[in-house]
Amino acid sequence: MTNPTDKKPQKRSRSIDLGKMRKHWAMKPVSLGVASVFLTACGDSREDAIVFTSLNDCINQLPGQEQKCEVAYEQALEEAARTAPKYNDRNQCEYDFGSGQCVVYRNNDGNNWFMPLMAGYIIRDLLSPSYYPQPLFTSSSRYSRYRYRWVGASGYDYGDIRYHSFKVRKDYKKPPEVTRTIKRGGFGSSVRAKSSWGSSKKSWGG
Amino acid sequence: MLRLPAIERANWRDRAKEFGFNFHTMYGKPYWDESAYYQFTLEQIERQIEAPTEELHQMCLQVVDKVVASDYWLTKFQIPEAFWSAIAESWHTQTPSLYSRFDFAMHGDQPIKFYENNADTPTSLYETGFWQWLWLEDMVDGNKISKQADQFNSLQEKLVNRFSEIADFYQPDSFHFACCKDTDEDRGTVQYLQDCAAAAGLQDRFCFIEDIGLGETDHFTDMQDKPIELMFKLYPWEFMLREEFGEAILTSPTQWIEPLWKSILSNKALLPLLWQMFPNHPNLLPAYFEEDLAKADETKLVKKPIFSREGANVSILNKGKTEESIDGPYGEEGFIYQAYYPLPKFADNYTLIGAWLVNDQAAGISIREDKHLITQDMSRYLPHIIL
Repeated sequence: MTNPTDKKPQKRSRSIDLGKMRKHWAMKPVSLGVASVFLTACGDSREDAIVFTSLNDCINQLPGQEQKCEVAYEQALEEAARTAPKYNDRNQCEYDFGSGQCVVYRNNDGNNWFMPLMAGYIIRDLLSPSYYPQPLFTSSSRYSRYRYRWVGASGYDYGDIRYHSFKVRKDYKKPPEVTRTIKRGGFGSSVRAKSSWGSSKKSWGG
Repeated sequence: MLRLPAIERANWRDRAKEFGFNFHTMYGKPYWDESAYYQFTLEQIERQIEAPTEELHQMCLQVVDKVVASDYWLTKFQIPEAFWSAIAESWHTQTPSLYSRFDFAMHGDQPIKFYENNADTPTSLYETGFWQWLWLEDMVDGNKISKQADQFNSLQEKLVNRFSEIADFYQPDSFHFACCKDTDEDRGTVQYLQDCAAAAGLQDRFCFIEDIGLGETDHFTDMQDKPIELMFKLYPWEFMLREEFGEAILTSPTQWIEPLWKSILSNKALLPLLWQMFPNHPNLLPAYFEEDLAKADETKLVKKPIFSREGANVSILNKGKTEESIDGPYGEEGFIYQAYYPLPKFADNYTLIGAWLVNDQAAGISIREDKHLITQDMSRYLPHIIL
């Protein structure tokens, strides 16, 4: 690596790791240690989670669990008030969550804020005594990336609001490992249509 | 700006093989050409290229802001109506962009003139960010170029940093990269981006555009049926929106680089709208929509399709008569007209400057030479230095 000896700002990348850019090398051994750690970490890392859109929804789906549903609902409401995003004015809140989706929240010192309505609550690990409910929100605003998605207070996107049951990882961050592919080949037809032009066409970028 | 002859590195083809540069010669013709290089002063680079590039980018963002809010302009830009709100959403939620390349003509110390914005799928990235960088290292090490020489090229450094920011935004488990089959150039470009993403600590995977699947969770999927959380696609939005899986983009949780709002900037309708919003800007050429042609008092105009790649279907008109034109499959969505401003000629070559941006920062230049006035995909790539 050569540097200009004077103090002019350098206009090019300071250094590039040529070892990492090299494409022709001897085959690297597969690291078995890493692979087995990965497999261990994959086991037992998923659990069921169900979204309820109301207290009745919970009671209907979990007969005989009315009390659990009520406690969970109350806890979720409290958690929503504590953790939901708060806005100074209704317009800002509705910009993110959609019109009619925001309610007044009055905190202890009497100030009014606006926060999204709790649209549902998720309970994971239902059979465990330590289940804990979390409030979920959704947006109908075209400006929101959470439009018609279940979203947690932290911004985590649980998925499409049409679905009420999820297999989630314990860290609640990841989509499923594999899914079933319904169809392939839905992209690329423009290239087939246009590639009769010139055998010299070498790029679909530009 | 000077064009200087140079002696080729004796081992450059072996170097190319070592570093996986597989498309330096295409269809028997040279693409990478180090028999000469261009030399700039630091002042030319900073005042004439870097500053206008960043300013024009900000002007382009103002165009996006105007277009996404207007049914009239979305129609003018030939954006299918089904995607209007998704494009607005991608803009208002500030989904991150990776890179762009502006094409410029530079005549001496005149203000450089903006030809177009390759905002969605710019190529010649590897040649710029890595290969011409390596050329300068080798030339300096071999005492063929002064140790004082520099290059306007922080592309690789900035790409790696930008991938870190994109990772922070989406927090993906893995990051998929895609291009079409049967093109070494596109595969090489995408591999380079994968290398940059890996250097930023991301888990990169590859899938051909034609192999992308649609999964039952609405995620797009790769050949291993893995859901695609985040995908870089070296494939134009204007194609994707019109293909079979187009509408699935609207309901899929899969996120994209470039983001959907870039489809407004990769569109030649950008040029007349920029001229309307920033008339007489020193770096802009007058440009017109078809129905405003009566306002054009230029005798020579360049007619460009709203969507096109690498010079295809571009023609030069003199008082309405075609003087020079390139065939191609584009133009069904209409054309725009831009004032004729020829490329500068060095020796026997017309020289085009590509100025790169990573997000909103100017990150370097690439130089292409062509024997023809309209630069096409078989033009040669030459390195440059700052001295």
